[in-house]
Amino acid sequence: MILVDFLKSGFNRAVSKFRLSLYLWLIMFIISLIIIVPVSYEVRANLGHLAWTEKPLMPFELNLIEIFLANQNLLASYSVFIIIMLLFSVLLSVFLSGGLFGQMLSPEARVSFRDFLVDGCRHFWQFLLSLIIFIPFLLIFFLVFRLLSAPLKLWSARAVTEWPVILASWLTVLLLALLWTAFRLVLDLVRIFVVGESKRAMAAYLSTLRFLHRHFFRLWSLYLLIGLAVILISAGWLLLVKLLSPASPAGLLIIIILSQAYILFRLLARQILIGVEASYFSARKEI
Amino acid sequence: MKKRNKSKMLAACLFISMLLFPGIIPGLAQERPVIYKLAVELLPETASLQAKETIVWTNLSHDYVPDIHLHLYWNAFKNELSTLAKEASREKLFKRFKAEKGEWGWIKITSLTTSDGQDLLPAAVFISPDEPPNPDDQTVLRVVLPQPVAPGQSLTLNIDFQAKVPKNGLRTGYFQDGFFISQWFPKPGVYEEGRGWNCHEYHLNSEFYADFADFKVKITVPKDFVVGACGQEVEKTEDLAAGRATYTYAQENIHDFAWTASPRFIKIERWFKGEEEVTPEEYQQIAGLLGLSIQDLKLPDVRMILLIEKQHKNQVERHFRALRAAIKYYGLWYSPYPYQTITMVDPPFRTGSGGMEYPTLFTAGTSVILEKDVLSPEGVIIHEFGHNYWYGLVASNEFEEAWLDEGINTYSTSKVSAVAYGAGRLPLKINGLPLGWLIKMPAVYDWQLGRTISVPVTKLDPIVTPSWKFYNSGSYSLNVYYRAATSLYTLERLLGEKIWARVMRTYHQRYRFRHPRTEDFIQVVNEVSGQNLNWFFQEFFYQAKDFDYAISYVETKLKPHEYQGVFDDLPASTQSQSKVESRKNPVRGKEKIYETVINLRRYGEAKLGPGFTLKLKIEFEDGSTEWREWDGQSRWHRFCFEKPVKIKQVWLDPEGLWLVDTNLSNNSYSRLGPGIRILSVTANLLWLVQNVLVTCFSWL
Repeated sequence: MILVDFLKSGFNRAVSKFRLSLYLWLIMFIISLIIIVPVSYEVRANLGHLAWTEKPLMPFELNLIEIFLANQNLLASYSVFIIIMLLFSVLLSVFLSGGLFGQMLSPEARVSFRDFLVDGCRHFWQFLLSLIIFIPFLLIFFLVFRLLSAPLKLWSARAVTEWPVILASWLTVLLLALLWTAFRLVLDLVRIFVVGESKRAMAAYLSTLRFLHRHFFRLWSLYLLIGLAVILISAGWLLLVKLLSPASPAGLLIIIILSQAYILFRLLARQILIGVEASYFSARKEI
Repeated sequence: MKKRNKSKMLAACLFISMLLFPGIIPGLAQERPVIYKLAVELLPETASLQAKETIVWTNLSHDYVPDIHLHLYWNAFKNELSTLAKEASREKLFKRFKAEKGEWGWIKITSLTTSDGQDLLPAAVFISPDEPPNPDDQTVLRVVLPQPVAPGQSLTLNIDFQAKVPKNGLRTGYFQDGFFISQWFPKPGVYEEGRGWNCHEYHLNSEFYADFADFKVKITVPKDFVVGACGQEVEKTEDLAAGRATYTYAQENIHDFAWTASPRFIKIERWFKGEEEVTPEEYQQIAGLLGLSIQDLKLPDVRMILLIEKQHKNQVERHFRALRAAIKYYGLWYSPYPYQTITMVDPPFRTGSGGMEYPTLFTAGTSVILEKDVLSPEGVIIHEFGHNYWYGLVASNEFEEAWLDEGINTYSTSKVSAVAYGAGRLPLKINGLPLGWLIKMPAVYDWQLGRTISVPVTKLDPIVTPSWKFYNSGSYSLNVYYRAATSLYTLERLLGEKIWARVMRTYHQRYRFRHPRTEDFIQVVNEVSGQNLNWFFQEFFYQAKDFDYAISYVETKLKPHEYQGVFDDLPASTQSQSKVESRKNPVRGKEKIYETVINLRRYGEAKLGPGFTLKLKIEFEDGSTEWREWDGQSRWHRFCFEKPVKIKQVWLDPEGLWLVDTNLSNNSYSRLGPGIRILSVTANLLWLVQNVLVTCFSWL
């Protein structure tokens, strides 16, 4: 199989199980709503009766900043709420990953919400463990990043014009993204081993490292291709939204629909990535 | 006798100045207490200066002055014990001044003698005049004189000094072969009659204060360097054998001197032509506003010099357009620019010297990638040029009352920017890459943004606070720049455009080439407006008080046709004998009547002054409006209405006069609210949080 075949296969697998993206979207939609309720309430309480004219004294964005500044006393309690929600989101993400990998690697063509939740529960502990074991990898990631970005930093520090600084900064971001995808690949494959080969987390890491020793660059290029497509589509989406005006109800409705479509797209992209990795793994695991 | 002595001394001073400045206008020189003659050589390989200086200081007071205080500002970068370093460290900014070996900056006087050769160095000690005292600071040198300088007498000091340019300085510095040199020479403080020397240490949150002087400065640099400096270049000589060039600059009646040198500058000159820049209609309009003749407003030609880094050469037109706008409007509104040149410097990269003002020279600051509708560098250019008016000409004490230059100038900048460019889009950049083409950012006027961001410091410090005594850098900058400007905008709206324009022009003209204080500004405001506005300055400048009036509660409900209960239906004398169980509304019969209650609150401590009221505009559904006024003295006030229609909208201060109000969002009420904007905010927030969650999910 050539790379395009893996992309095609992964794409087909993701599209046939598109429901998974819908499940994820729904869950995240609800969590997001819970997170924004206090802010939304404050905005409504403070600005819900703001009289609006053709030429307002202040742009609405500054009204928002103003009420944020006027309600700083609420910030501390809201921050605690956000931290709790973020911790919860970490655990939830592990759970949802379990469901997603479980269903994506399942030979069953049909997916159901129940099975998705069951897979989430089934793989939760091994996935959480794999995440904890990934922490030393993160340290290596930062070390490698610092080493590789050092020449860029040096180049930038000596520059007498702005361009080298900007270029070095872009290259650093690019380096960060490339390294992150490379390291991130490890965690994905570990989870494929956990689900597909019923391995425990530590054993899955060893198998993953062995597998990547032979297949790293091909898999990584697949990852990067999908990542590049996501970036390009995201930029296109932002440009499209920029053209629309939220001032009219119809415009706002379209923006809301497009925004949710974008979230679905990002979830589907994740699904496609897992699908491609899984296809590659299935085809090459014996080699 | 005293007077005759003084005249003699002034004549001597004039004679010396004529020797030093052959081109200066006699008569003007005697007004100025200081004359400088400097010769400096830049040694780029060691980033150091070798210099000789002659200071002629004339005692224009009636005091006998026993000593002289000199600023040695670069010692602020000498070590971690300077007042600047300590203040920066307290604000967690110390790494900004942290230097490698050989990168610390300092200034060392190697010789200090009087004109008759008396060595004054043994009598020189570093002092720490500010609170809290810092005995380790070496930025103010007190030199005890062999005999006091009598009123009208002059003192001549001959100084040799060496200085090391700080690598990561504040407002001055170098990087590789690019240099920006400011606050670099020993400079006397300002002698204030009866109060002594006003000579402060170099502080983190403060700029400068000095006396008007005449400068003649010779600058020697490698010959491939392009040089820019305050004043006019009057001579250039080259020593080809040594590979050096010497530039001579001279300028009368300025109070500081800065210069820059870099091989990467392009030097471009243009002329500001008063006749071409201002249309007859504009002259007419401003003349009407100020009550002056057009002849009084005529703007002279000014030579504009731009030193721009080669990497920014595609932005030359943007720089000149902004400078022309600044020269035009500051000139028309406040008075013509009095000097013949203005030098605009795109500062050498990484010298830490951008966005800074010096008389007849200022630094801007730009980036290689710019967006058209983000008004940078324009805002910086207008602001820093504007300091030639507020700091350069009206030379207030930046240490003690920074608002007088920064606040007034921020206000002026905002006015010029609005009339020349309109609202500017907020910038959004990631790693130097502007994202305005991808994400729509709101367009705002400077005053709108300024009033909003200054809200958090309202209760932290009064605007009139010595610069180094603010709670922190944030409070300093937001108070003296933005809260002060917002207060001035409020005054303008309260007094009206015409009176305010005359206030500002009068203040500028009266205190040109002088050192006014806040009381002088207040006095001009009161005098020109014909009102006593002391309360305004007490509330908003001398105290840290929150000013927030609000519509706290609006209720409109249908008045019942019948009231339940026991009512007297007979004349008072017989009421106990006859009662009815219910009574119809006698006023309108079956017509619907709405009772509307509007509660106003004063949440802040600050309040309106005598004679001032807040207007309340009430709009009903049938389009009718009612106006009420509230003197705002009590903590709350209630207005009640009975009308056959419901209320539609209410505005407190509908004309938007009180921009100092820290929360304008609670100044209006509408049953409909701001339409779909709230939904739009909620949708955007939701989308943002969803993206965070998706990212978290994808990574974990």
